[in-house]
Amino acid sequence: MAAAFANARYSRRRRGNLIATALSIGAALFGLTWLALILIVLVVKGVGGLSPSVFTEMTPPPGGAGGLLNPIVGSLILTVLAVLFGTPLGILAGTYMAEYGRYSKLTMVVRFINDILLSAPSIVVGLFVYEIMVARMGHFSAWAGAVSLAILVIPVVVRTTEDMLLLVPNTLREASAALGVPQWLVIRDVAYRAARAGITTGVLLAVARITGETAPLLFTALNNQFFSWNLNAPMASLPVVIFQFALSPYADWQQLAWTGALLITATVLGLSILARMLASKRVLT
Amino acid sequence: MSLAIHTDVKEQAPAAVEGLEAKVSVRHLNFYYGAYRALADNNVNLYKNKVTAFIGPSGCGKSTLLRILNRIYDLYPNQHADGEVLLDGENILRPGQDVNLLRAKVGMVFQKPTPFPMTIYENIAFGIRLYEQLPKAELDTRVEDALRRGALWDEVKDKLDASGLSLSGGQQQRLCIARTVAIRPEVILLDEPCSALDPISTAKIEELIDVQKRDYTIAIVTHNMQQAARTSDYTAFMYLGELVEFDNTTQIFTNPRLERTQDYITGRFG
Repeated sequence: MAAAFANARYSRRRRGNLIATALSIGAALFGLTWLALILIVLVVKGVGGLSPSVFTEMTPPPGGAGGLLNPIVGSLILTVLAVLFGTPLGILAGTYMAEYGRYSKLTMVVRFINDILLSAPSIVVGLFVYEIMVARMGHFSAWAGAVSLAILVIPVVVRTTEDMLLLVPNTLREASAALGVPQWLVIRDVAYRAARAGITTGVLLAVARITGETAPLLFTALNNQFFSWNLNAPMASLPVVIFQFALSPYADWQQLAWTGALLITATVLGLSILARMLASKRVLT
Repeated sequence: MSLAIHTDVKEQAPAAVEGLEAKVSVRHLNFYYGAYRALADNNVNLYKNKVTAFIGPSGCGKSTLLRILNRIYDLYPNQHADGEVLLDGENILRPGQDVNLLRAKVGMVFQKPTPFPMTIYENIAFGIRLYEQLPKAELDTRVEDALRRGALWDEVKDKLDASGLSLSGGQQQRLCIARTVAIRPEVILLDEPCSALDPISTAKIEELIDVQKRDYTIAIVTHNMQQAARTSDYTAFMYLGELVEFDNTTQIFTNPRLERTQDYITGRFG
């Protein structure tokens, strides 16, 4: 009876569905194509320069042979310091927002500012640290570089810590409180445990974010031709070296820039995959 | 408006039962979610070593009343109570009351099983360690004792190191009961403890209630009339935030004084 009518409506829905599916697949492919092209170019241009000397020798003068030892070590130092500064601050702030001050005005204000900071251009952060540290100390330093990266770490960690703690069901907090467990212990032994994988993921994503940052380092850690452990002096880092070498007219330097870019990309990719794996088993222990 | 309907009921507030000691005594208790008054002038006693069931349609305030007795509502900033709740004669609503000490004396089991993200052993030991520092061997004994009281020992004795979350729903709920009795409370509040469980687990938990009342004073909220009739000594019927009728369970289920109670119990409304 209503079959013909229903059929017309049904086939219209089917057509609509087909078009929408085709459009989404097309959009996804468009995005993926560029990513694939970037990765292919990186691998093709970068792999040629990969050799043990990349990891054992200093950055060379123009025309000389060398490697990326000082920027690799510099990047590691800067990243580790930034995570050491930023993670505790970020986790504590996120904990306040999700646990102690869940209903407070302060939390709303902090969340708003944190979201701004989350999307703030990193060059602004670099300039800010230049003003408060480099200009006052009178010289560029690894400390200033680490601080500017830490400022980029904090909002990511604040956000994920808060989100992950908010995902911990309230029934779990009630059940702990019902045993007479004081709030700080509920947070430490129950909420953190339940949110552990998620918070770790947040920290990894923050590391991935700062690994490729160049702008904030240009104004703070600058660069260094030589190997240096001195945190009070300028320090080399992979992104800045890539920036400098890629723009140079020397073929050796350009090759090292490609190789450095490949190393960074591989690191970020590795961290993202690790974060993904942790996040997928975020289900409580 | 709803209050006016029940004015005739007010004098039915529980008469003291002869010869029984009231462990918990609720007096003129009001409770507010923000500006909304969820409980109006409730009066009821929980008698020592007896099971008291709270029945009534959804939203009548049964769980709300239970959540006042250990002040768990304190976790939420816009909820407050006035009136008196006497535990052994002391008003637990007074401002100076240490809520953690109160909750050590008044344990609670919730509707949904809530094992902590830890091993089965740690789920029990966590609470014990809060109050007592015991040598390992003694702690082991306490954990075993608690799991036996939760009728769970035989099922988990070989996998105490497994996650509490690996247990089935019924086992998780018994773990929560074991966790509650492990810290040796005086009163146990059960908020629809079986509503998420199958009949076999439910029967196990009801048996537990029967055994445990020798040592504790128990209050249970339930939507299951048979469960209230089976497990409790006293029953309170609540409706729209008021305590309508309180009596011994046999009386309530065979010959309630009020028609409204009769109607609810026989399923004519609710």
